[in-house]
Amino acid sequence: MRFSEASGRKVVSTTTAETVGKVDRFVVDVSGPRVVALELKKTESGNTLRWSDVTAFGGDAVTVESAEKITDGGEDIAPLLGKGNQVLGKRVLTTNGDEIGEVSDVDFEAGSGTVISLLLDHGAEIAGTRLVGVGSYAVVVRAQ
Amino acid sequence: MSTERRLMRTSEITKRPVVTYAGDDVAQVKDVVYAAGGGAVGGFTLSGRGMFAGPLKQGLSWPSVAALGADAVMIRDENSLEPTDAVLDASAASGGSGGDVLGSRVLTDAGTDLGEVVDVIIEVTGAYGGQCDVVGYEIEASEALGTKGQKVLIPLPDTIAASGEHLMVPASTKDFVGQDLAGFGAAVDDFRAQLGGTS
Repeated sequence: MRFSEASGRKVVSTTTAETVGKVDRFVVDVSGPRVVALELKKTESGNTLRWSDVTAFGGDAVTVESAEKITDGGEDIAPLLGKGNQVLGKRVLTTNGDEIGEVSDVDFEAGSGTVISLLLDHGAEIAGTRLVGVGSYAVVVRAQ
Repeated sequence: MSTERRLMRTSEITKRPVVTYAGDDVAQVKDVVYAAGGGAVGGFTLSGRGMFAGPLKQGLSWPSVAALGADAVMIRDENSLEPTDAVLDASAASGGSGGDVLGSRVLTDAGTDLGEVVDVIIEVTGAYGGQCDVVGYEIEASEALGTKGQKVLIPLPDTIAASGEHLMVPASTKDFVGQDLAGFGAAVDDFRAQLGGTS
């Protein structure tokens, strides 16, 4: 599944059947690399939903046991939150110091959250396993 | 890691961002620090990022550079930085900075003025543990080269006598003048091979 497809998807509680938020952004941890949390919008309180608390990432909705699973992140996730750690739209540098494009989309495994590949603005596809860092300035990928 | 050789002008390196593997731009290059009497790059002085940022007290020595690329200087993390004084001292210990060569006149040992130095050409081979050598100068050519006023590239021998006023090169230098960086690496090799064969 693509980040572009999945963003804006509603998040529904399996307990109350109510929509408790919408997927806004993806929080990626470069070890893996995988999606470790979703940043949500239109929530009652908090805006972070851990991947481990997601019941299912379906084609029409993301389901979660209850709205209480939506928090402020916690110590491990908080440093990864915020615009600085976003992957989409960011320039891509290789470990050789060469810019090879901008991230236009990310392909991930909806079951596990594993990042399969980064799709660049000029059509190139970079395997997720080459991801080294996601920082304020650039996404860094291992040079081939 | 790539082991290709790359040539670049040092003027293009200044202001280039210094980026960690984590993707953060922690500094930008202020100046190139030369080592080994001006024959190699010893490191960089740094300034902060952003329009109003000033010089940093931390610098970057060449052995801590993970890669010098077309768009960024890559470092493993912020621990790769060290006090600027340490970078300057290490370079001085290796035989001095060689001074600022920009503006010097290039004179052959036959007494011909080839032109004025406007840029320094370096060659990077490999990443960590690789070399960063000064291999040539870009000069504004004098009449002697038949292309007066144009910018051309001249290869350098391994060592060179420099006074701040003049840079002394072998007379055969003018047979290895290049127009652009593509192919200049071969000219440097040919020039150095020829010098090695006649000395």
